[in-house]
Amino acid sequence: MNQVGSVGLIAALAFAIYGVVAGAVAGKLRSPRMLKSAQRAVLGFFVMITVAVASLEYLILTNDFHSAYVASHSSIALPLMYKIPVLWAGQEGSLLFWTWLLSIYAGIAVWMNRRKNRQLMPYVISICMGVGTFFSLITFWVANPFTQLSLVSASGTTPFTPADGNGLNPSLQFHSMVIHPPMLYLGYVGMAIPFAFAMSALMTRQLGDNWIRVTRRWTMVPWMFLGTGILLGGQWAYHVLGWGGYWAWDPVENASLLPWLAGTAFLHSVMIQEKRGMLKVWNMVLIILTFFLSIFGTFLTRSGIISSVHAFAKSDIGPWFSVFLAIIAAFSLTVLFLRLDFLKSDNRLDSIVSRESGFLFNNWILLAAVLAVLWGTIFPVISKAVENQTVTVGPPFFNRVMIPIGLLLLFLTGAGPLLAWRKTSFQSIKRNFTIPLIFAGVVGGYLFWAGIHRLYTWMSLFLCAFVIASILGEFYKGARTRMKISKENFFSAVYNLTMRNTRRYGGYIVHLGIVLLFVGFAGQAFRFETQKLMGPGDLLQAKDYLIRCEGLTSGQHANYTYETAILSVTRDGRALGEMRPQKRVYMASQEALSHIALRTNLARDLYVVLAGQDPDSGKVLIHVIINPLVQWVWIGGLVVLLGTILALFPSRVERQMDEIRKTQEEALEAHHVL
Amino acid sequence: MVLGVAILLVIGMAAFVAAPLLAPESPGEGALPIDITPLTDLKRRRMVVYENLQDLDFEFKAGKISPEDYQALRENHLAEAAQLMLASQEQEEVTENDVLIERQVAARRAQRKQQPHDPYTCPGCGFENPLPVKFCGNCGTKLPQQAPK
Repeated sequence: MNQVGSVGLIAALAFAIYGVVAGAVAGKLRSPRMLKSAQRAVLGFFVMITVAVASLEYLILTNDFHSAYVASHSSIALPLMYKIPVLWAGQEGSLLFWTWLLSIYAGIAVWMNRRKNRQLMPYVISICMGVGTFFSLITFWVANPFTQLSLVSASGTTPFTPADGNGLNPSLQFHSMVIHPPMLYLGYVGMAIPFAFAMSALMTRQLGDNWIRVTRRWTMVPWMFLGTGILLGGQWAYHVLGWGGYWAWDPVENASLLPWLAGTAFLHSVMIQEKRGMLKVWNMVLIILTFFLSIFGTFLTRSGIISSVHAFAKSDIGPWFSVFLAIIAAFSLTVLFLRLDFLKSDNRLDSIVSRESGFLFNNWILLAAVLAVLWGTIFPVISKAVENQTVTVGPPFFNRVMIPIGLLLLFLTGAGPLLAWRKTSFQSIKRNFTIPLIFAGVVGGYLFWAGIHRLYTWMSLFLCAFVIASILGEFYKGARTRMKISKENFFSAVYNLTMRNTRRYGGYIVHLGIVLLFVGFAGQAFRFETQKLMGPGDLLQAKDYLIRCEGLTSGQHANYTYETAILSVTRDGRALGEMRPQKRVYMASQEALSHIALRTNLARDLYVVLAGQDPDSGKVLIHVIINPLVQWVWIGGLVVLLGTILALFPSRVERQMDEIRKTQEEALEAHHVL
Repeated sequence: MVLGVAILLVIGMAAFVAAPLLAPESPGEGALPIDITPLTDLKRRRMVVYENLQDLDFEFKAGKISPEDYQALRENHLAEAAQLMLASQEQEEVTENDVLIERQVAARRAQRKQQPHDPYTCPGCGFENPLPVKFCGNCGTKLPQQAPK
């Protein structure tokens, strides 16, 4: 099977190289038969990478430890649900997986555009296959997952098959970890498609708003996956790492946040190009940046140049990625520079107080966030290069910079929809801002009275109230107007309003989700923690919770040995039940991992960790964290996801416009024929 | 065995990819069609302005925009729509002229294909040489040899 995988990889590389050339030739000669051949090369690339992926999965599932990759990352006792993700648990497998996802994206893009955008598609194929060439090349050449183990001795090299493998990293044996990496990868890889369309639009000089319309969904889908992946990563950190938090500004976390922030800026600023024909160069810069940061994120995650909790081994793919990133930057900026004359704005900014300037402001802030996170992330590398000592930038730097940035963005989330396109007079501002500001003022007053005096926390909750009032006001005003015009009842008016313009109202729901996320973030200010060595009968008071140790048990599972503390919890004298934090030692790797116990509701999480054991007394160290409002982070993430899915649905306006466009284009074609 | 199947699959895929290049040219085959012409682009932009107008009307009815702002913005949108309409008309005229020219060129080509070969006319540039010559007097292209009478 190793050989079959290698054949798949070599063939995929060949199809990718052919796709680059065939796409470029088809674009230059405008040749339909060449385009068809290039399209088929994309299919060939997909089929061959699928053969390689299937071969590796077969090796993993059949415990073929002659394969170096399987021996390093899997073991016989590993449960099936964790054997499948072994595919992306290591460097080599994850690069192969990346390439496979690219082949799927490229295949779908080709299939969906087989009868449209025929001028753009040759170069789209060429660029996608260029990216495919790079990834299949390093997967084959530098990080090949099909290497076989062998013993080297004086008499020569003999094949070697160990009895069992090293097993999967225990911290990865967690349910959300099964889908967290694929989600992130779907996000990273997917940004290649809008980038390819943008480059193709530049190369063919088709620089109207067509490429923006075509790529809107192609950007939203990876953006959605990336966001979901980031949150699942947070959930994994919260449940597995045992420090009671979900975000630590770790370089690998930052690596995924960077393209998400740039993609968010792009998704907002394309609206100005669609509506007003402005910011054409800016949009190009943003999509180039988003794709660049996606590759940069993969590079950071995979090269090991910056140390991270993710603890990936250092590898020699770094220089390859550096060259590839330089090629992307040089190529895209050169093409952009050559086409600057075709990217002039159709309109100018009419007023500083308008929806356009709101979007523009949002873009600058998002870009400032990208720069701040990037600076903090690569600072260790820069300090190493300049002063020959690695200086790590910790959470205090990120919190100091990112909290004000986040609050500004939160304000714009509420203020943006209240501003009109082109210009907004003081009269209109007064109409729209009064009620949300009064509501936020009342909530803010109550919070201050209730004892919330920390500026950022108060500000965050005040702005959350403002945004909620502004968004719900948008739904209410829209529904009321529909009720007047179409005589609908309130609920069908809200439904029809949303379905008429899914993009706008889906976007508002995404904003509501962001508000809920901020509510969750604000809760961190009230975090409380304590710890105590406990044996049977010992008590621990954590605010209004009383925890009593009922006993300790230990045992063995197929995959690990464990030590469990049995704790009973009461709150204000009311029994809440039992909690069982656990410490596991995984047999294959001999790594220890805490398995937390969690009691959760919308107000707070009671988070209990068995942090260690005192060998003398036999007592266990119980670490208790009371984490307010954490659930709102996960609920907010879910709302963002649902809002994005809604915004992906074609709206009624869009469908009507498409029909009109189609009729016009048919009329135009008929006109040509006559 | 599995390796053999994989290699056969590679060969099959390669043949599948090469097939469009090896197939004989079909009679109606031309260049890749242009999906977005300057005219359709202008029409799209006009449609966006109409969409913006609809939004503006709705927001005014919802009470989000003051009457003064509404009037001023509406006029701006209408002026933009008129400008785009004018540009579309101009482009349409250009397109019509292009169509006429293309049609004439196509008719002349068809006519020339049907006519027996004129030994004095250059197949490259179409120049009618006044004398029987070996090379075109205009572009220097080698002319086909005349059959001996």
